Amino acid sequence: MKDVGSRAELRRLAERLIKLGKACGADEVEVHVGRGTEFHVDVRLGAVENLVEAGSRSVGFRVIKDRRTASAGSSDLSWPVLERLMKNAVARALLASSDDCAGLPPHSRFKVEASTLGLYDPEVPLLSSRAKIDLALETERIALSDKRITNSHGASFSAHHGGIILANSNGFRGEYEQTYCSLGIGLQAGATDDLAEDGWSSNRRRFRDLESPEAIARKAVERTVRQLNPRKIRTQNVPVVFEQDMTAWLLGFLFGCVSGTAVYQKATFLAGKLGLKIAAEGITVLDDGLMPGMPGTRPFDAEGVPCRKTAVVEAGILKNFLTNTYAARKLGTDSTGNGDGSGVGPNNFYLVPGRSTPEDIVGSVEKGLLLVRTLGHGLNPVTGDISRGAFGLWIEGGAVAYPVSEVTIAGNLGDILNGIEMIGNDLDFRSAIAGPTLKVAEMTVAGI
Amino acid sequence: MRTKTAAAAVRSLPYADHFELTEADYRRILGLALARGGDFAEVFCEYRTFGFILMEEDIIKETAESISLGLGIRVLKGEMTGYGYTNEPSWPEIKRAAQTAAAIASGRAARPPSSLKTARSSLRLYPVRVPSHRASLDQKIGLVREAYQTARAHDPKIVKVKAALGDSIQYVNIVNSDGLLIRDVRPLVKLSCSAIAEKDGRKESGYHGGGGRVGLEYFEQTLKPRTIGLEAAGEALRLLEAREAPAGEMPVVLAPGHAGVLIHEAVGHLLEADFHRRKTSVLWDKLGTQVGSGLVTIIDDPTIPGYRGSYNIDDEGTIPRPALLIEKGKAVGLLQDLLTARFFKAAPTGHGRREDYSFWPLPRMSNIYIAAGPHDPGEIIGSVRKGFYAEQFQGGQVEDSGKFTFSVSSGYLIEGGRLTAPVKQATLIGSNIDILKKVEMVGSDLKFSLQTGTCSKDGQDVPVSDGCPTLKIARMTVGGLA
Repeated sequence: MKDVGSRAELRRLAERLIKLGKACGADEVEVHVGRGTEFHVDVRLGAVENLVEAGSRSVGFRVIKDRRTASAGSSDLSWPVLERLMKNAVARALLASSDDCAGLPPHSRFKVEASTLGLYDPEVPLLSSRAKIDLALETERIALSDKRITNSHGASFSAHHGGIILANSNGFRGEYEQTYCSLGIGLQAGATDDLAEDGWSSNRRRFRDLESPEAIARKAVERTVRQLNPRKIRTQNVPVVFEQDMTAWLLGFLFGCVSGTAVYQKATFLAGKLGLKIAAEGITVLDDGLMPGMPGTRPFDAEGVPCRKTAVVEAGILKNFLTNTYAARKLGTDSTGNGDGSGVGPNNFYLVPGRSTPEDIVGSVEKGLLLVRTLGHGLNPVTGDISRGAFGLWIEGGAVAYPVSEVTIAGNLGDILNGIEMIGNDLDFRSAIAGPTLKVAEMTVAGI
Repeated sequence: MRTKTAAAAVRSLPYADHFELTEADYRRILGLALARGGDFAEVFCEYRTFGFILMEEDIIKETAESISLGLGIRVLKGEMTGYGYTNEPSWPEIKRAAQTAAAIASGRAARPPSSLKTARSSLRLYPVRVPSHRASLDQKIGLVREAYQTARAHDPKIVKVKAALGDSIQYVNIVNSDGLLIRDVRPLVKLSCSAIAEKDGRKESGYHGGGGRVGLEYFEQTLKPRTIGLEAAGEALRLLEAREAPAGEMPVVLAPGHAGVLIHEAVGHLLEADFHRRKTSVLWDKLGTQVGSGLVTIIDDPTIPGYRGSYNIDDEGTIPRPALLIEKGKAVGLLQDLLTARFFKAAPTGHGRREDYSFWPLPRMSNIYIAAGPHDPGEIIGSVRKGFYAEQFQGGQVEDSGKFTFSVSSGYLIEGGRLTAPVKQATLIGSNIDILKKVEMVGSDLKFSLQTGTCSKDGQDVPVSDGCPTLKIARMTVGGLA
């Protein structure tokens, strides 16, 4: 499939927009061009259910005039439309308020070479539709061959390849190409009135790094059937073991609380706590945009600031907030290269693994909950409060005893971070936010 | 699109300037899409503009404007869907999207319709006097400022306020191989405010907002920016005084309005017909049977004027009608789109919706509510000796198995039949049939929640709203800390 709009054309478009913005009176102009090709197939019960293939492109820009900002975006790349949007943006900027912290990042000499970062796998765009469909079919076939599985939500394969071009009036010019692919499945087990559901997926930049259909099917089956025939439990305070994906979920919440935007907005309980102990001593949390081949890796952020490695929490001490240029100016620091659209986003944000195996961790719990999934909202960054519906396995005498249903977990992120007693050795970057298995000393698990 | 045939027909298509597609073009696309023998083909053209204004730290921080233009082509073959889309309106790209969609089938070409019949919806659900997308930026900034400043000035304990106005206008043209050509122009506006209050180092937040498929006059007549600001600040201040929510199983009373999200999660999703076609919904084998208390009647109505979830036509061109889902506790209906309606040989209900042109439609809710019942709200609270009154909600989530949760941001303890201490942040959890059976009292005070809701399914977001009267559930698990 051919890509939409050649790179050279889109590069020229970016240059032309910068020129136009300046001609319209903008002090600074930033242009972001994205283009990509998407493939997606869902198969279910042995047949293709949905098949999508498409290319798309879009342009976004930001103008600053007298320290007033306006932004715009369009998937319609015809020049008269972009011209009108640019003129409107400069006019709109004048209606916004002047803001001393507004503006593009200063030009940086330091450059990260995208080609060393392992962002692009040439194999991904070359995969045939047949091969991709067959992987999904194979995954589902293996999963359904297990008699305990009663229904399938379907298996899916997705692939994306595309590129990003970023240019600004301070002289920044950058671009990179990247790929993603994923293979996954969702399953049901049990009778209609006592259903358990779960699944598994593998998401990678490189096709050959994907888990095999066998591995994905096996994990999805295992995760589903282990939740069959749940019991209710009494409300109690017990140790909680977080599986990898649950640690990632907890870290996602932590990210929201260390985001520079939330900090300058006073919308996080961690504002004002730099240099203080906020977690157990063994806890180190890093944001690193330069790990080759990882999902959150990129040479520069959405503002052209080179990505880097930032210690967020080091040995339990809160070291840095993560910022884009605006939040950094608000906080009187330098951008950490976490600019993402108009906000702050993670690069590879992870908790440094420890030495315990997941088996050791479960084995250390006399009575407690192994948390495998949560459901719902119930995260409040202002207070750090967490309250979620939970699916888990009850641990007794150091071993998984039975699944539990209709429970909720409640606690406070600050207490949870301080209460981490064991850290697993099983870090795996299934997404840009990742962490190993963890044991938290005590949380409220509400049941009957 | 540039074609030779364009000029004559363009004048009859009021939005043709965005697509420049004529009837002949549409028939040609349908022909390409059916080239391998699909049962049904459809072209969905969308042009949408968005506007956004944000105020925080006492200044208008940013404004944004964006345009989304694209075309999605779908081919159905049995239960299979082929889909291609493009946002480059050129013949080669449109042709490629049509061929991608066509590839789902493999057989002899089916014939495209020999002519298209332009249809019009009988519904006029967007009561707009002052269209937001055409109003001056100054006027809209004025509304944002008013909400912001009211919240900011309300109390010295309010330390942080954020107010935003977002609006969009969406033009859709839908053409399909049944010969249908139909259009809709959908406005949407939302003004919202969040506030953070601080006292003795403790911080709490509040939120309020409104809007819908309405014009800016809504913020003069129905919900004033002032009210939005006051309510957001008021909630944050109330929570400063709130204690931890209780934990355990207990009687729960749901406040009217916001608790509609429980109906959305616990019932609505599980009656979307795609989950019945696949037999993954816990309710798939229960149509026609009693699944809940006789007090419970649930309707999804896309035809309420001005509501966020309403539309004159759905995203497949079907003129929608209210769908009766649960009648006196009995499951009686499903939310159908064209694919599921074909599968079940049922009439489409007009619930096929999509986030934008890059997605195919799915059966979705619009404005779902539980109908008013016989009980006086005071009597309902009075009947509980010890329990939980859930007032404000952040949202919820459900699985096909019927297990759901929803998050309560604030509520009250009920002690001796009266609301007593305010409490914060709790999660309610249950499974849907269990909860429907445990509905013990239904109030006479049906209300709809804030017109700010969005529903996500399979990665697609659509605007929705939900409503319910005061509701008593005999027992439910409340997850709090105390």
